[in-house]
Amino acid sequence: MKVVNLLAAVAAEKCRGCKTCEKVCPVLAIKVVNRKAVVDAERCRGCAACEQRCPDYAITMVKREEPVVVKVDVSAVDYARVEDLCRRARLNPEQIICYCTATRAEEVAAAILQGARSPEEVSFLTGARTGCKVECIQPILRLLEAAGIKPEPPRDGWQWYGRTVTVWEIPEGVKHKYATRGFYFDEDIKLLDRVVAAPVQGRRDS
Amino acid sequence: MRPPITPIPPRKSQYGIDPSLVKTRVSELPGMTSVLLKELFPDLPEVIYPGEEGVAAVRKATEAALQKIDMSKIKPEHSVNILASHHGFTLLGGEPYAEMLKTLKDVIEARTGCKNIRLRAGVGLRFRETEEYIKRYGLDKHFGGKAIGVAPIDQGIPIETEIGTLYGIRKIYDADWIVHAHNSDVREVHFHRQVDRAVKPFGMSYARIETRSTYHQNLGPRAANFTARAIFDSPFVQGKFAFASFLTVAPNGIIGVDADNDLYALNDRVTQIGCRYYGKMMTLFGEIDECIAALDFPCPVVYVFSAGVIYANFAGANTDLYDLDLPLPAYTWYTEAFYGKAGKPLLKDIPPLNPAIKMCVHNYAWTGYPSAFFSEHIPTVVVGQEQADLFNRDPQNLTYMKHAVVAETTEAAMEFAYKTTGTRKVLIFDGAMGGINVSEPLAELLLKKAPAVSERVESELLPKWLRQRGVDR
Ligand code: SF4
Ligand code: SF4
Repeated sequence: MKVVNLLAAVAAEKCRGCKTCEKVCPVLAIKVVNRKAVVDAERCRGCAACEQRCPDYAITMVKREEPVVVKVDVSAVDYARVEDLCRRARLNPEQIICYCTATRAEEVAAAILQGARSPEEVSFLTGARTGCKVECIQPILRLLEAAGIKPEPPRDGWQWYGRTVTVWEIPEGVKHKYATRGFYFDEDIKLLDRVVAAPVQGRRDS
Repeated sequence: MRPPITPIPPRKSQYGIDPSLVKTRVSELPGMTSVLLKELFPDLPEVIYPGEEGVAAVRKATEAALQKIDMSKIKPEHSVNILASHHGFTLLGGEPYAEMLKTLKDVIEARTGCKNIRLRAGVGLRFRETEEYIKRYGLDKHFGGKAIGVAPIDQGIPIETEIGTLYGIRKIYDADWIVHAHNSDVREVHFHRQVDRAVKPFGMSYARIETRSTYHQNLGPRAANFTARAIFDSPFVQGKFAFASFLTVAPNGIIGVDADNDLYALNDRVTQIGCRYYGKMMTLFGEIDECIAALDFPCPVVYVFSAGVIYANFAGANTDLYDLDLPLPAYTWYTEAFYGKAGKPLLKDIPPLNPAIKMCVHNYAWTGYPSAFFSEHIPTVVVGQEQADLFNRDPQNLTYMKHAVVAETTEAAMEFAYKTTGTRKVLIFDGAMGGINVSEPLAELLLKKAPAVSERVESELLPKWLRQRGVDR
């Protein structure tokens, strides 16, 4: 859940049409049309990625008159399916996967079960990855993959490139090689497995 | 009792309130004093900065350290990226780090004849932060316009590693050679656990979001920093790595500059400093039974400093952050992630945030880092409506103020904290150099506890910490 209270606004006279904003927007809400960036106000999730990367400082974040509440209704899907998908992605359903919006795995799972097929759609529907824009791409990709979806990164975009390794997939040879250097792979697997299996606390209205 | 040390002044930044709005510093209030770190731990090393020579001492130390560096691979026709990170600019006012960067450029140019030397400065979660520092410290001029800030959402480059493909920032690696210019300050011990601290930027400020998310979501709290090692050890990075130059830092100041063609050799030295000196400070802070934490530094909430210890680590000082047998500190992102919907940890053995922190007075700290976990679990008073409004506009902190209250002035906030907590112990995170600003009762407690802490770290904890990291030989 995210309350979107900001909106990107482009100063057209400063925009040089470089498309940087287009390449970094996690929900594909800004596009260059006739060499000027244009924001789709309905889609914008107020993350400020475009404002922070525009080389010409052509974008400012303005306060929305009416904040938009972005939320996927977890109770609209069978919770057993939500749980199953989360645990297959090796996440506890109640685990937070986006620290900025406090989005939990269950909400992303519910978005996927209701039809989201890419990180961009997940972010648009849940608000996850529209805070810091950095830390939560992997659990989103893991949940999509667990649902059997293979999303393609946006063409020519820099939004994301691919899923990476999890601790369960670290080769034994690597673990062995660095065993004395303070990397606790197997111990962390045990810890994360316990988290994945932990019972949910169950207040579904978060 | 000593008078308080002048804190680091507020800084103009898009991530913080205007400095003119910071009317009072917590250390200026009645009852505040300071303790020199050398009084607490006389074995802390001698520092070159702060000192009489100012940043000239850093230039000298950098030049001396670089003498033993082999730069023969760098030819006049080559290009070199000096890689920097935001954190260095928050240490002791930032000038020492900026001076090391300038000296690096000057020495490389003089020794190799190479003219195409650029500065690439990575960031945490405030994508324009190093852009601000580049201007502030005149690095754009010094590098002839070839100094830029880079962010983790900028164009990436795949890097093949022993654990599969990870991703770096393209502009970090767009030169023939890279020079890793960093510092040994421990900063986020809750994340790196002093394992491969010197390598961390390869998995963080030089890395794309995919890699950083691997660190914080895919590997677990004690395996996380392996992402950095995997990238650094990749043939791609090894083929570009020239050498590393580090500002070596202890809680009481800059102790020197250490440079090496072998990053792992340097890393082992950094591990020793980090465990020994910062380990003592953190263990001492863990002895504080109750206090008000006052944030008063130009940095996000988690990063405000006191004696080299950041607030995020004080919030976990009820556990031993250096002990790798303990999987989760009281605060780290993995811990935060493992709080369920009822607001309690999903596992019973997850420790609570440091119960000694009875209240947090947020006098001055920046946005740009998700900090709502702190205001949710620690009673927090924010000074000034402008600061509250700034947090409400930060996409990373939209719920920070949901859990915090606002006081009009620093004085009112502290009065409220004194009355409601009943404690007079105050620990101020204001970056005071060489010492800590605290209230008198806390000064007494720290001075009383320090000798036993020192003894325990030396005889019991340090040997274990070093053994766990394989640097005890
Ligand atoms: S990044 Fe800035 S200059 Fe480039 S297209 Fe977008 S608004 Fe225009
Ligand atoms: S969602 Fe973010 S990047 Fe996209 S237009 Fe809005 S503020 Fe810009």
